[in-house]
Amino acid sequence: MKLRKMMALSLAGAMAVSLGACGGGGGSESGGDGGSGGGDGSLSVMIWDTYQEPGLTEIIGDFTEETGIEAEIQVVTWDDYWTLLSAGAQGGSLPDVFWMHSNEAERYMSNDMLMDLTDKIAESDKIDISKYPEDITELYTYEDKNYAVPKDVDTIALWYNKTMFDEAGLEYPTADWTWDDLYEAAKALTKDGVYGFGCSATNNQAGYYNLIYDMGGYVINDDKTASGYDDPNTIKAMQYFEKMIQEGIMPSQETMSESAEDVLLGSGSLAMTTQGSWMLSAFKENEYIAENCDCVELPKDAASGKRVSIYNGLGWAASADTPNADEAWQLIEYLGSQEGQTKQAELGVTMSAYEGTSEAWTGSADFNLQAYLNMMDDMVIRPYSRETVTWENDCSEALKKGWTQEVSMEEACKNAAAAMNATLEEENAG
Amino acid sequence: MAGKKQKVKGTARARSENIWGWLFVLPTMIGLIVLNIYPIINTIKQSFFKTGDFGRGDIFVGVDNYVKVLSNSETWDALLATFKYAIIEVPFSIAISLVLAVLLNRKMRGRSAYRTIFFLPMVCAPAAVAMVWRWLFNSEFGLLNHILGAKIQWVSNPKIAIYAIAVIGVWSIIGYNMVLFISGLQEVPHDYYEAASIDGATGVRQFFSITIPLISPTIFFVCVTRIIGALQVFDLIFMVMDTGNPALQKTQSLVYLFYQSSFVERNMGYGSTIVVFLLVIIMIITVFQMIAQKKWVYYS
Repeated sequence: MKLRKMMALSLAGAMAVSLGACGGGGGSESGGDGGSGGGDGSLSVMIWDTYQEPGLTEIIGDFTEETGIEAEIQVVTWDDYWTLLSAGAQGGSLPDVFWMHSNEAERYMSNDMLMDLTDKIAESDKIDISKYPEDITELYTYEDKNYAVPKDVDTIALWYNKTMFDEAGLEYPTADWTWDDLYEAAKALTKDGVYGFGCSATNNQAGYYNLIYDMGGYVINDDKTASGYDDPNTIKAMQYFEKMIQEGIMPSQETMSESAEDVLLGSGSLAMTTQGSWMLSAFKENEYIAENCDCVELPKDAASGKRVSIYNGLGWAASADTPNADEAWQLIEYLGSQEGQTKQAELGVTMSAYEGTSEAWTGSADFNLQAYLNMMDDMVIRPYSRETVTWENDCSEALKKGWTQEVSMEEACKNAAAAMNATLEEENAG
Repeated sequence: MAGKKQKVKGTARARSENIWGWLFVLPTMIGLIVLNIYPIINTIKQSFFKTGDFGRGDIFVGVDNYVKVLSNSETWDALLATFKYAIIEVPFSIAISLVLAVLLNRKMRGRSAYRTIFFLPMVCAPAAVAMVWRWLFNSEFGLLNHILGAKIQWVSNPKIAIYAIAVIGVWSIIGYNMVLFISGLQEVPHDYYEAASIDGATGVRQFFSITIPLISPTIFFVCVTRIIGALQVFDLIFMVMDTGNPALQKTQSLVYLFYQSSFVERNMGYGSTIVVFLLVIIMIITVFQMIAQKKWVYYS
């Protein structure tokens, strides 16, 4: 009896120990995933763009060589990125260094999730905040404190299929094009299962936002209290797309939701589309696009003569409570410095935010990339507020109905404005 | 001494067994409480709050969230889509897998090979399954339209998208149901079939008069778990449909709506309300099934 009890007890003891070990193992593992558990000096870096990973790994390699600080990049998709990051923020295990985006920045800044970099930037001899576009610095500033160092800028340009233009006997698009020229060319190019131009209801920044601002409309007013979707100029701009939908020059929203414009361009079913500079890495690797396509500045609006590019830029931010605060700052400082920014452009990762460093980017691929730099002459920051994601989703939900012609584009715009105003009202009240 | 104890708590042996019993179920119970029960209670609690960023600054709003959820047409669209999905997925997957199970329960060549093939979809990662089907269904370049020579928008036409998704659901669940049915079939004594054939019953008659009644407990189990599973559909819709899809509003399920509110728009309170709503619906349906089982399930 006694023996049995002893054995049972020791067995139970062993089980408890193994359970404890399980718990311990799990704990350290999740610490490693989240990143801040380390403390051994190796930094965890989280980004969402696979295409930028090789270039950034190279730059970080140089950084490790220079400082001896190790850092490892983890890539997760855009959607998962924000889910992971907010879970990490809530559980106190953010990665050490990560990208920030204008859609989400304010939420993180106002909740003290990001490291306050104001003093560090002031003391640094590598970072001079005036060298970055003011709008982008502004995105990552909250109550006069800086929470991120600008990483890049992106602009929009028009991509077109040279072969299709040749076959149709049309001149290639030029920097002097107006949106009416684009319409005429798109109409002429639409035949045999090929569409002239594509811009889906969810393609805001690289698509319809640009035309809205060209035509004197707006998406959100300056003090971020009201939507501009019901502005007559905005509606006029959106009706430009409506006309193309009605005339079949543009693929249906159904088609574009299954195969996005870049996929259609890369498979020879689309002659023209507007795309952001961040697409370059993907286009470089697509054989069909590399062979047949090129880019040019966006068209102007004939009446206003304006050629606006919506632009945006990411920022490098650090976790507020990382145990590797010093190392994290050194990495951000390096990535934001003139040296790091030049490398980023040279490697063709993206255009860089630091003044004058983007020139190197134009040589990183065999396209007319100067167009993207030229688009920097007249830029409008991508419309944002605290609840950008919520109203952007509502708006594209409403606009989709315009794209499918379930309702007229004018009505779709008005619905979008109503939904957006409701969100903004709640945002400003709370 | 011993007698006194017995009065209070039974014998020493019974007491000791009791303690050990509890000790052995403890790991499972802790797991359940930490991973299931606590989150359920927390979710219900959250549904009464307007949640702040990163779990801070929650404000109690009473039934506000419920009023918003129930007055939003999106919710009812999602409920309808969820039901449509379940109505296709559950009966078809059960019927097809039951027939397959009967066929594969006989002695035949390559039986294990067939069983493996039908079970394979279950082994594949749902995300991979969805990516392949997404390509099959693609209206421009998809294999299906290529074979049919048509341009049917399987997953972006609001009228048919949910059924296309349900087809994927049926395809991926057949193997699992089949394995459960096979195990049920092996419990059925062979004598019944022999007696039935002597009496002149055909194969079809045997199937309806012997097989189905005798494995009705298995059918009932599969039915209950599949309905619950189907009402919680999310991954297929999430993987197959993009946010720009015009069919999304008529196709998104309640769980998809929950994901959208909770994790994309970070409105945890609203999202929690949606799942509590779903929980209530699932509970009602399951209760009805439990009552109805008395009419058709035979426990021998």
